[in-house]
Amino acid sequence: TRTMVPLLLMLLATAHGQVKLGYKPKLASSDLGGLRTTSTFVLEQPHCVFDKYPNADIWLVVAVPEAVPNFNNSVGPGTPERAFQEFPTNALAYMTLNTTLLNYACPKPPGELTVLRVGSETSCAKNNLRPTCNGPLPSPGPYRVKFLALEDSEPTAETDWSKPITLRTGTAAGPSSIPVTGSGHSGGMIALTAILSILFAVLLAGLLAMLVFWGSDACGGSSTFSKPETVSVRRYNTHHVYDQPAAR
Amino acid sequence: MAKSDDGIHILQGLLVFGNVVIGMCGIALTAECIFFVSDPHGLYPLLEATENDDIYAAAWIGIFVGFALFALSILGIIGVLKSNRTLLLVYIILMLITYAFEMASCITAATQRDFLTPNLFLKQMLERYKKSDTENNNDKWMTEGVTKTWDKLMLQNHCCGVRGPSDWQDYTSAFRITHSDADFPWPRNCCVMDAQGSPVNLDGCKLGVPGYYNKNGCYDAISGPMNTHAWGVAWFGFAILCWTFCVLLGTMFYWSRIEY
Repeated sequence: TRTMVPLLLMLLATAHGQVKLGYKPKLASSDLGGLRTTSTFVLEQPHCVFDKYPNADIWLVVAVPEAVPNFNNSVGPGTPERAFQEFPTNALAYMTLNTTLLNYACPKPPGELTVLRVGSETSCAKNNLRPTCNGPLPSPGPYRVKFLALEDSEPTAETDWSKPITLRTGTAAGPSSIPVTGSGHSGGMIALTAILSILFAVLLAGLLAMLVFWGSDACGGSSTFSKPETVSVRRYNTHHVYDQPAAR
Repeated sequence: MAKSDDGIHILQGLLVFGNVVIGMCGIALTAECIFFVSDPHGLYPLLEATENDDIYAAAWIGIFVGFALFALSILGIIGVLKSNRTLLLVYIILMLITYAFEMASCITAATQRDFLTPNLFLKQMLERYKKSDTENNNDKWMTEGVTKTWDKLMLQNHCCGVRGPSDWQDYTSAFRITHSDADFPWPRNCCVMDAQGSPVNLDGCKLGVPGYYNKNGCYDAISGPMNTHAWGVAWFGFAILCWTFCVLLGTMFYWSRIEY
Protein backbone atom coordinates (compact mmCIF):
# COMPACT_ATOMS: atom_id res chain seq x y z
CA THR A 1 0.00 0.00 0.00
CA ARG A 2 2.92 2.34 0.62
CA THR A 3 3.97 2.32 -3.00
CA MET A 4 0.36 2.18 -4.08
CA VAL A 5 -0.45 5.64 -2.69
CA PRO A 6 2.12 7.64 -4.72
CA LEU A 7 1.31 5.46 -7.77
CA LEU A 8 -2.37 6.18 -7.29
CA LEU A 9 -1.64 9.89 -6.94
CA MET A 10 0.40 9.83 -10.13
CA LEU A 11 -2.39 8.04 -11.93
CA LEU A 12 -4.89 10.57 -10.67
CA ALA A 13 -2.69 13.41 -11.89
CA THR A 14 -2.35 11.97 -15.36
CA ALA A 15 -6.03 11.06 -15.35
CA HIS A 16 -6.73 14.79 -15.02
CA GLY A 17 -4.43 15.16 -18.05
CA GLN A 18 -3.49 18.72 -17.29
CA VAL A 19 -0.85 19.57 -19.78
CA LYS A 20 0.94 22.81 -19.09
CA LEU A 21 1.51 24.62 -22.35
CA GLY A 22 4.45 26.94 -22.23
CA TYR A 23 2.51 30.03 -23.40
CA LYS A 24 2.22 33.10 -21.26
CA PRO A 25 -0.79 35.31 -22.04
CA LYS A 26 0.23 38.87 -22.71
CA LEU A 27 -1.31 42.25 -23.49
CA ALA A 28 -1.82 43.13 -27.13
CA SER A 29 0.40 45.54 -29.03
CA SER A 30 0.89 48.92 -27.41
CA ASP A 31 -0.30 50.74 -30.54
CA LEU A 32 -3.80 50.41 -29.17
CA GLY A 33 -4.98 53.48 -27.32
CA GLY A 34 -7.39 51.42 -25.25
CA LEU A 35 -4.89 48.71 -24.30
CA ARG A 36 -5.54 49.34 -20.65
CA THR A 37 -8.41 51.53 -19.51
CA THR A 38 -9.86 51.91 -16.03
CA SER A 39 -11.98 48.78 -16.33
CA THR A 40 -10.86 46.84 -19.39
CA PHE A 41 -7.70 45.46 -20.92
CA VAL A 42 -6.81 43.84 -24.21
CA LEU A 43 -5.04 40.48 -24.57
CA GLU A 44 -3.39 38.81 -27.52
CA GLN A 45 -5.37 35.85 -28.82
CA PRO A 46 -3.64 32.49 -28.14
CA HIS A 47 -3.05 31.43 -31.73
CA CYS A 48 -1.21 28.13 -32.37
CA VAL A 49 -1.32 27.26 -28.67
CA PHE A 50 -4.22 24.84 -28.33
CA ASP A 51 -3.69 23.11 -31.69
CA LYS A 52 -3.73 19.68 -30.16
CA TYR A 53 -7.13 20.21 -28.58
CA PRO A 54 -9.59 20.78 -31.40
CA ASN A 55 -12.55 19.55 -29.38
CA ALA A 56 -11.92 21.55 -26.25
CA ASP A 57 -13.65 24.68 -24.95
CA ILE A 58 -10.99 27.26 -24.31
CA TRP A 59 -11.78 29.55 -21.40
CA LEU A 60 -10.06 32.64 -20.09
CA VAL A 61 -9.48 32.65 -16.35
CA VAL A 62 -9.11 36.03 -14.66
CA ALA A 63 -7.91 35.91 -11.07
CA VAL A 64 -6.50 38.07 -8.34
CA PRO A 65 -2.83 37.26 -7.69
CA GLU A 66 -3.65 35.67 -4.30
CA ALA A 67 -5.67 32.94 -6.05
CA VAL A 68 -2.82 31.81 -8.28
CA PRO A 69 -0.85 29.46 -5.96
CA ASN A 70 -3.76 27.24 -4.93
CA PHE A 71 -5.81 27.52 -8.07
CA ASN A 72 -8.04 24.53 -8.69
CA ASN A 73 -8.65 23.90 -12.39
CA SER A 74 -11.47 21.48 -11.72
CA VAL A 75 -13.88 24.09 -10.45
CA GLY A 76 -16.14 24.58 -13.42
CA PRO A 77 -17.19 27.82 -15.07
CA GLY A 78 -20.61 29.08 -14.10
CA THR A 79 -20.37 27.90 -10.52
CA PRO A 80 -20.60 30.52 -7.77
CA GLU A 81 -16.89 30.08 -7.08
CA ARG A 82 -16.15 31.19 -10.62
CA ALA A 83 -18.99 33.64 -11.24
CA PHE A 84 -18.12 37.09 -12.53
CA GLN A 85 -20.74 38.72 -10.35
CA GLU A 86 -19.04 37.33 -7.22
CA PHE A 87 -15.62 38.54 -8.27
CA PRO A 88 -13.51 39.52 -6.37
CA THR A 89 -15.38 39.36 -3.05
CA ASN A 90 -16.60 35.76 -2.83
CA ALA A 91 -14.89 34.35 -5.89
CA LEU A 92 -11.20 34.94 -6.31
CA ALA A 93 -11.34 34.16 -10.02
CA TYR A 94 -13.85 34.00 -12.82
CA MET A 95 -13.97 32.31 -16.19
CA THR A 96 -15.22 33.92 -19.35
CA LEU A 97 -14.71 34.35 -23.10
CA ASN A 98 -15.52 30.75 -23.86
CA THR A 99 -14.65 29.71 -27.42
CA THR A 100 -13.28 26.83 -29.52
CA LEU A 101 -10.12 26.41 -31.54
CA LEU A 102 -11.92 27.67 -34.66
CA ASN A 103 -11.61 31.22 -33.40
CA TYR A 104 -7.92 30.94 -32.66
CA ALA A 105 -6.83 29.95 -36.15
CA CYS A 106 -3.24 28.91 -36.72
CA PRO A 107 -1.32 30.61 -38.23
CA LYS A 108 -2.64 34.00 -37.28
CA PRO A 109 -4.31 35.63 -40.32
CA PRO A 110 -1.94 38.30 -41.54
CA GLY A 111 -3.07 41.94 -41.49
CA GLU A 112 -5.95 41.27 -39.12
CA LEU A 113 -6.16 42.61 -35.65
CA THR A 114 -6.98 39.63 -33.44
CA VAL A 115 -7.35 40.56 -29.82
CA LEU A 116 -9.49 39.78 -26.80
CA ARG A 117 -11.02 42.71 -24.97
CA VAL A 118 -11.57 41.71 -21.36
CA GLY A 119 -14.35 43.72 -19.75
CA SER A 120 -16.37 44.76 -22.78
CA GLU A 121 -19.79 43.34 -21.87
CA THR A 122 -21.66 45.82 -19.74
CA SER A 123 -25.17 44.45 -20.26
CA CYS A 124 -24.73 41.27 -18.20
CA ALA A 125 -22.43 42.66 -15.50
CA LYS A 126 -25.14 42.63 -12.84
CA ASN A 127 -27.09 39.66 -14.18
CA ASN A 128 -26.60 36.69 -11.86
CA LEU A 129 -27.97 34.39 -14.53
CA ARG A 130 -24.87 35.08 -16.62
CA PRO A 131 -21.93 34.04 -14.42
CA THR A 132 -19.60 33.78 -17.40
CA CYS A 133 -20.17 37.41 -18.34
CA ASN A 134 -17.16 39.29 -19.71
CA GLY A 135 -18.00 42.25 -17.55
CA PRO A 136 -15.94 45.33 -16.76
CA LEU A 137 -13.37 44.81 -14.05
CA PRO A 138 -14.39 46.35 -10.75
CA SER A 139 -11.02 47.71 -9.60
CA PRO A 140 -7.65 48.63 -11.05
CA GLY A 141 -6.24 45.24 -10.06
CA PRO A 142 -3.65 43.81 -10.44
CA TYR A 143 -5.01 40.71 -12.17
CA ARG A 144 -3.44 37.56 -13.58
CA VAL A 145 -4.95 35.56 -16.43
CA LYS A 146 -4.47 32.22 -18.09
CA PHE A 147 -6.23 30.12 -20.69
CA LEU A 148 -7.75 26.79 -19.73
CA ALA A 149 -8.98 24.07 -22.13
CA LEU A 150 -11.89 21.96 -20.91
CA GLU A 151 -13.11 18.81 -22.60
CA ASP A 152 -16.45 17.59 -21.24
CA SER A 153 -15.94 19.90 -18.29
CA GLU A 154 -12.61 18.23 -17.50
CA PRO A 155 -9.50 20.42 -17.68
CA THR A 156 -7.11 19.07 -20.28
CA ALA A 157 -4.58 21.82 -20.87
CA GLU A 158 -3.67 25.20 -19.50
CA THR A 159 -1.24 27.97 -20.25
CA ASP A 160 1.05 29.68 -17.78
CA TRP A 161 -0.26 32.52 -15.69
CA SER A 162 0.40 35.94 -17.09
CA LYS A 163 2.35 38.68 -15.40
CA PRO A 164 0.20 40.84 -13.12
CA ILE A 165 -1.83 43.30 -15.18
CA THR A 166 -2.71 46.62 -13.54
CA LEU A 167 -5.34 48.87 -14.99
CA ARG A 168 -5.30 52.66 -15.16
CA THR A 169 -6.65 54.82 -12.37
CA GLY A 170 -8.19 58.17 -13.00
CA THR A 171 -7.18 60.89 -10.60
CA ALA A 172 -9.89 63.29 -9.56
CA ALA A 173 -9.94 66.51 -11.56
CA GLY A 174 -9.29 68.65 -8.52
CA PRO A 175 -7.23 71.81 -8.11
CA SER A 176 -4.20 69.83 -6.97
CA SER A 177 -4.06 67.48 -9.92
CA ILE A 178 -4.88 70.12 -12.52
CA PRO A 179 -3.31 73.41 -11.44
CA VAL A 180 -5.15 76.25 -13.16
CA THR A 181 -3.42 79.24 -11.66
CA GLY A 182 -1.74 81.12 -14.43
CA SER A 183 1.91 80.62 -15.16
CA GLY A 184 2.51 84.29 -14.56
CA HIS A 185 2.31 87.06 -17.09
CA SER A 186 4.14 86.76 -20.35
CA GLY A 187 6.89 89.21 -21.19
CA GLY A 188 4.90 90.65 -24.06
CA MET A 189 2.04 91.65 -21.85
CA ILE A 190 4.32 93.34 -19.33
CA ALA A 191 6.13 95.26 -22.06
CA LEU A 192 2.83 96.32 -23.60
CA THR A 193 1.44 97.57 -20.29
CA ALA A 194 4.61 99.41 -19.38
CA ILE A 195 5.04 101.16 -22.70
CA LEU A 196 1.39 102.16 -22.97
CA SER A 197 1.39 103.52 -19.42
CA ILE A 198 4.47 105.62 -20.10
CA LEU A 199 3.05 107.01 -23.32
CA PHE A 200 -0.23 107.84 -21.64
CA ALA A 201 1.58 109.58 -18.81
CA VAL A 202 3.56 111.67 -21.30
CA LEU A 203 0.36 112.67 -23.08
CA LEU A 204 -1.31 113.67 -19.83
CA ALA A 205 1.72 115.74 -18.94
CA GLY A 206 1.52 117.39 -22.34
CA LEU A 207 -2.17 118.15 -21.85
CA LEU A 208 -1.40 119.64 -18.45
CA ALA A 209 1.31 121.82 -19.96
CA MET A 210 -1.12 122.97 -22.62
CA LEU A 211 -3.80 123.91 -20.09
CA VAL A 212 -1.32 125.71 -17.86
CA PHE A 213 -0.25 127.87 -20.79
CA TRP A 214 -3.80 128.25 -22.06
CA GLY A 215 -4.24 131.60 -23.67
CA SER A 216 -0.71 132.63 -22.78
CA ASP A 217 0.92 134.16 -25.79
CA ALA A 218 4.11 134.65 -23.86
CA CYS A 219 5.16 131.07 -24.54
CA GLY A 220 7.06 131.06 -27.80
CA GLY A 221 5.37 134.22 -29.03
CA SER A 222 7.95 134.91 -31.64
CA SER A 223 7.28 131.78 -33.61
CA THR A 224 3.52 131.92 -33.52
CA PHE A 225 1.83 132.25 -36.81
CA SER A 226 -1.32 133.93 -37.84
CA LYS A 227 -4.28 132.10 -39.17
CA PRO A 228 -4.27 131.77 -42.93
CA GLU A 229 -6.33 134.44 -44.65
CA THR A 230 -8.62 132.09 -46.45
CA VAL A 231 -10.19 130.60 -43.38
CA SER A 232 -12.53 133.21 -42.05
CA VAL A 233 -12.34 136.77 -43.06
CA ARG A 234 -14.97 139.06 -41.77
CA ARG A 235 -15.05 142.61 -42.96
CA TYR A 236 -17.18 144.82 -40.89
CA ASN A 237 -18.35 147.63 -43.00
CA THR A 238 -20.31 150.37 -41.39
CA HIS A 239 -23.35 151.48 -43.32
CA HIS A 240 -22.39 155.12 -43.83
CA VAL A 241 -19.14 154.25 -45.69
CA TYR A 242 -20.92 152.40 -48.46
CA ASP A 243 -24.08 154.44 -48.58
CA GLN A 244 -22.50 156.94 -50.83
CA PRO A 245 -21.53 154.58 -53.66
CA ALA A 246 -24.89 152.83 -53.46
CA ALA A 247 -26.71 156.10 -53.65
CA ARG A 248 -24.89 157.06 -56.80
CA MET B 1 9.06 134.27 -41.52
CA ALA B 2 8.62 132.30 -44.71
CA LYS B 3 10.73 129.50 -43.37
CA SER B 4 8.69 129.08 -40.21
CA ASP B 5 5.56 129.31 -42.32
CA ASP B 6 6.87 126.43 -44.40
CA GLY B 7 7.67 124.56 -41.22
CA ILE B 8 4.16 125.07 -39.97
CA HIS B 9 2.72 123.94 -43.28
CA ILE B 10 4.82 120.82 -43.13
CA LEU B 11 3.59 120.18 -39.59
CA GLN B 12 0.02 120.74 -40.75
CA GLY B 13 0.52 118.31 -43.58
CA LEU B 14 2.02 115.74 -41.27
CA LEU B 15 -0.81 116.09 -38.79
CA VAL B 16 -3.42 115.72 -41.51
CA PHE B 17 -1.62 112.65 -42.78
CA GLY B 18 -1.37 111.29 -39.25
CA ASN B 19 -5.07 111.78 -38.70
CA VAL B 20 -5.92 110.11 -42.00
CA VAL B 21 -3.93 107.07 -40.92
CA ILE B 22 -5.66 107.09 -37.53
CA GLY B 23 -9.04 107.21 -39.23
CA MET B 24 -8.25 104.27 -41.45
CA CYS B 25 -6.79 102.27 -38.58
CA GLY B 26 -9.91 103.04 -36.58
CA ILE B 27 -12.05 101.50 -39.31
CA ALA B 28 -9.72 98.51 -39.50
CA LEU B 29 -9.87 98.05 -35.74
CA THR B 30 -13.65 98.15 -35.80
CA ALA B 31 -13.77 95.60 -38.58
CA GLU B 32 -11.29 93.32 -36.86
CA CYS B 33 -13.11 93.47 -33.54
CA ILE B 34 -16.48 92.82 -35.18
CA PHE B 35 -14.92 89.75 -36.76
CA PHE B 36 -13.72 88.49 -33.40
CA VAL B 37 -16.97 89.21 -31.61
CA SER B 38 -18.87 87.27 -34.26
CA ASP B 39 -16.97 84.19 -33.02
CA PRO B 40 -16.45 82.35 -36.31
CA HIS B 41 -14.95 79.31 -34.57
CA GLY B 42 -17.74 78.96 -32.05
CA LEU B 43 -15.46 78.99 -29.02
CA TYR B 44 -17.33 81.60 -27.01
CA PRO B 45 -19.25 79.07 -24.82
CA LEU B 46 -15.93 77.76 -23.53
CA LEU B 47 -14.91 81.23 -22.44
CA GLU B 48 -18.33 81.95 -21.02
CA ALA B 49 -18.05 78.88 -18.83
CA THR B 50 -14.75 80.05 -17.40
CA GLU B 51 -16.73 83.08 -16.22
CA ASN B 52 -13.89 85.20 -17.47
CA ASP B 53 -14.64 86.31 -20.98
CA ASP B 54 -12.78 89.62 -20.79
CA ILE B 55 -11.20 88.96 -24.17
CA TYR B 56 -14.62 89.52 -25.66
CA ALA B 57 -15.09 92.68 -23.58
CA ALA B 58 -11.79 93.91 -25.00
CA ALA B 59 -13.05 93.26 -28.52
CA TRP B 60 -16.32 95.08 -27.83
CA ILE B 61 -14.40 98.10 -26.54
CA GLY B 62 -12.28 97.87 -29.67
CA ILE B 63 -15.34 98.25 -31.88
CA PHE B 64 -16.38 101.51 -30.25
CA VAL B 65 -12.85 102.82 -29.99
CA GLY B 66 -12.41 102.23 -33.69
CA PHE B 67 -15.47 104.35 -34.49
CA ALA B 68 -14.35 107.03 -32.08
CA LEU B 69 -10.90 107.14 -33.66
CA PHE B 70 -12.43 107.55 -37.08
CA ALA B 71 -14.74 110.37 -35.97
CA LEU B 72 -12.04 112.12 -33.99
CA SER B 73 -9.57 111.91 -36.84
CA ILE B 74 -12.02 113.86 -39.01
CA LEU B 75 -12.38 116.42 -36.21
CA GLY B 76 -8.62 116.59 -35.99
CA ILE B 77 -8.18 117.20 -39.69
CA ILE B 78 -10.73 120.02 -39.61
CA GLY B 79 -9.12 121.51 -36.51
CA VAL B 80 -5.65 121.43 -37.99
CA LEU B 81 -6.72 122.94 -41.27
CA LYS B 82 -8.75 125.69 -39.56
CA SER B 83 -6.07 126.18 -36.88
CA ASN B 84 -8.87 126.51 -34.36
CA ARG B 85 -7.64 126.28 -30.80
CA THR B 86 -10.95 125.21 -29.33
CA LEU B 87 -11.50 122.46 -31.84
CA LEU B 88 -8.02 121.14 -31.32
CA LEU B 89 -8.37 121.22 -27.54
CA VAL B 90 -11.63 119.27 -27.77
CA TYR B 91 -9.92 116.89 -30.16
CA ILE B 92 -7.00 116.32 -27.80
CA ILE B 93 -9.16 115.73 -24.76
CA LEU B 94 -11.50 113.31 -26.53
CA MET B 95 -8.53 111.53 -28.06
CA LEU B 96 -7.03 111.06 -24.63
CA ILE B 97 -10.24 109.51 -23.38
CA THR B 98 -10.32 107.19 -26.37
CA TYR B 99 -6.65 106.44 -25.78
CA ALA B 100 -7.42 105.39 -22.23
CA PHE B 101 -10.18 103.03 -23.35
CA GLU B 102 -8.06 101.49 -26.04
CA MET B 103 -5.23 101.05 -23.54
CA ALA B 104 -7.61 99.19 -21.26
CA SER B 105 -8.71 96.99 -24.14
CA CYS B 106 -5.15 96.10 -25.16
CA ILE B 107 -3.99 95.31 -21.66
CA THR B 108 -7.10 93.24 -20.95
CA ALA B 109 -6.69 91.21 -24.13
CA ALA B 110 -3.02 90.55 -23.41
CA THR B 111 -3.62 89.64 -19.76
CA GLN B 112 -6.56 87.40 -20.44
CA ARG B 113 -4.67 85.52 -23.10
CA ASP B 114 -2.16 84.44 -20.47
CA PHE B 115 -5.02 83.10 -18.42
CA LEU B 116 -6.18 80.61 -21.05
CA THR B 117 -3.94 77.61 -20.42
CA PRO B 118 -4.47 73.97 -21.44
CA ASN B 119 -5.18 73.03 -17.84
CA LEU B 120 -8.01 75.55 -17.67
CA PHE B 121 -9.78 73.96 -20.61
CA LEU B 122 -9.00 70.47 -19.36
CA LYS B 123 -10.56 71.13 -15.98
CA GLN B 124 -13.58 72.75 -17.59
CA MET B 125 -14.04 69.89 -20.03
CA LEU B 126 -13.79 67.24 -17.33
CA GLU B 127 -16.18 69.07 -15.04
CA ARG B 128 -18.79 70.14 -17.55
CA TYR B 129 -18.82 67.92 -20.61
CA LYS B 130 -22.06 65.90 -20.57
CA LYS B 131 -22.63 66.73 -16.94
CA SER B 132 -26.03 65.38 -15.98
CA ASP B 133 -26.91 66.87 -12.60
CA THR B 134 -26.90 70.62 -13.08
CA GLU B 135 -27.70 72.80 -10.12
CA ASN B 136 -29.42 75.79 -11.64
CA ASN B 137 -30.30 77.34 -14.95
CA ASN B 138 -26.98 79.11 -15.29
CA ASP B 139 -25.09 75.88 -14.65
CA LYS B 140 -27.31 74.09 -17.18
CA TRP B 141 -26.73 76.78 -19.79
CA MET B 142 -22.97 76.67 -19.39
CA THR B 143 -22.91 72.88 -19.39
CA GLU B 144 -24.92 72.72 -22.60
CA GLY B 145 -22.64 75.32 -24.17
CA VAL B 146 -19.51 73.41 -23.24
CA THR B 147 -20.94 70.07 -24.37
CA LYS B 148 -22.11 71.37 -27.75
CA THR B 149 -18.85 73.20 -28.35
CA TRP B 150 -16.71 70.18 -27.53
CA ASP B 151 -18.83 67.88 -29.67
CA LYS B 152 -18.48 70.26 -32.59
CA LEU B 153 -14.76 70.74 -31.96
CA MET B 154 -14.00 67.03 -31.82
CA LEU B 155 -16.07 66.30 -34.89
CA GLN B 156 -14.78 69.07 -37.10
CA ASN B 157 -11.13 69.09 -36.07
CA HIS B 158 -10.77 65.31 -35.72
CA CYS B 159 -9.38 65.56 -32.25
CA CYS B 160 -10.17 64.24 -28.78
CA GLY B 161 -9.83 65.85 -25.38
CA VAL B 162 -7.42 68.69 -24.64
CA ARG B 163 -4.16 66.74 -24.87
CA GLY B 164 -5.54 63.49 -26.26
CA PRO B 165 -8.00 60.65 -25.53
CA SER B 166 -5.96 59.71 -22.47
CA ASP B 167 -7.43 62.78 -20.73
CA TRP B 168 -10.59 60.72 -20.32
CA GLN B 169 -8.61 57.88 -18.74
CA ASP B 170 -6.19 59.82 -16.60
CA TYR B 171 -8.87 61.80 -14.81
CA THR B 172 -12.34 61.18 -13.47
CA SER B 173 -14.97 63.37 -15.05
CA ALA B 174 -18.65 64.23 -15.11
CA PHE B 175 -18.79 62.27 -18.36
CA ARG B 176 -17.52 59.14 -16.61
CA ILE B 177 -20.37 59.25 -14.10
CA THR B 178 -23.02 58.64 -16.74
CA HIS B 179 -20.98 56.78 -19.35
CA SER B 180 -19.24 53.57 -18.28
CA ASP B 181 -15.60 53.15 -19.11
CA ALA B 182 -16.13 49.85 -20.91
CA ASP B 183 -18.69 51.32 -23.34
CA PHE B 184 -17.16 54.78 -23.57
CA PRO B 185 -13.43 54.84 -22.87
CA TRP B 186 -13.71 58.27 -24.53
CA PRO B 187 -16.68 60.14 -25.97
CA ARG B 188 -18.28 58.91 -29.18
CA ASN B 189 -17.18 62.02 -31.05
CA CYS B 190 -13.57 60.92 -30.62
CA CYS B 191 -14.29 58.12 -33.09
CA VAL B 192 -13.66 58.59 -36.79
CA MET B 193 -17.12 59.21 -38.22
CA ASP B 194 -18.60 58.43 -41.60
CA ALA B 195 -20.73 60.80 -43.63
CA GLN B 196 -23.87 59.95 -41.65
CA GLY B 197 -22.31 60.85 -38.32
CA SER B 198 -21.89 57.36 -36.88
CA PRO B 199 -18.56 55.73 -36.07
CA VAL B 200 -16.86 53.91 -38.92
CA ASN B 201 -15.89 51.05 -36.60
CA LEU B 202 -17.17 51.31 -33.06
CA ASP B 203 -15.14 48.39 -31.70
CA GLY B 204 -12.02 49.76 -33.32
CA CYS B 205 -12.73 53.09 -31.71
CA LYS B 206 -13.23 51.56 -28.26
CA LEU B 207 -10.06 49.51 -28.60
CA GLY B 208 -8.13 52.56 -29.70
CA VAL B 209 -7.00 51.21 -33.05
CA PRO B 210 -5.09 53.94 -34.91
CA GLY B 211 -7.24 55.17 -37.74
CA TYR B 212 -10.57 54.56 -36.04
CA TYR B 213 -10.28 57.15 -33.32
CA ASN B 214 -8.83 60.65 -33.03
CA LYS B 215 -5.50 60.45 -31.33
CA ASN B 216 -4.53 64.10 -31.09
CA GLY B 217 -5.74 66.72 -28.66
CA CYS B 218 -7.94 69.70 -29.43
CA TYR B 219 -5.86 72.30 -27.65
CA ASP B 220 -4.31 73.59 -30.87
CA ALA B 221 -7.73 74.06 -32.39
CA ILE B 222 -8.76 76.13 -29.38
CA SER B 223 -5.64 78.13 -28.72
CA GLY B 224 -5.01 79.03 -32.36
CA PRO B 225 -8.11 81.21 -32.82
CA MET B 226 -7.88 82.57 -29.28
CA ASN B 227 -4.29 83.62 -29.75
CA THR B 228 -5.14 85.32 -33.03
CA HIS B 229 -8.03 87.07 -31.31
CA ALA B 230 -6.03 88.25 -28.33
CA TRP B 231 -2.93 89.28 -30.19
CA GLY B 232 -5.01 90.92 -32.91
CA VAL B 233 -6.77 93.12 -30.41
CA ALA B 234 -3.77 93.72 -28.17
CA TRP B 235 -0.95 94.33 -30.61
CA PHE B 236 -2.88 96.07 -33.36
CA GLY B 237 -4.29 98.33 -30.68
CA PHE B 238 -0.78 98.91 -29.37
CA ALA B 239 0.44 99.92 -32.83
CA ILE B 240 -2.46 102.32 -33.26
CA LEU B 241 -1.78 103.83 -29.86
CA CYS B 242 1.89 104.39 -30.61
CA TRP B 243 1.00 106.18 -33.82
CA THR B 244 -1.73 108.16 -32.04
CA PHE B 245 0.81 109.18 -29.39
CA CYS B 246 3.01 110.77 -32.03
CA VAL B 247 0.08 112.51 -33.71
CA LEU B 248 -1.21 113.83 -30.39
CA LEU B 249 2.19 115.17 -29.40
CA GLY B 250 2.43 116.88 -32.74
CA THR B 251 -1.07 118.30 -32.32
CA MET B 252 -0.22 119.63 -28.85
CA PHE B 253 2.87 121.33 -30.27
CA TYR B 254 0.81 122.76 -33.15
CA TRP B 255 -1.85 123.98 -30.73
CA SER B 256 0.72 125.82 -28.66
CA ARG B 257 1.99 127.56 -31.77
CA ILE B 258 -1.42 128.89 -32.93
CA GLU B 259 -1.84 132.58 -32.34
CA TYR B 260 -4.80 133.00 -30.05
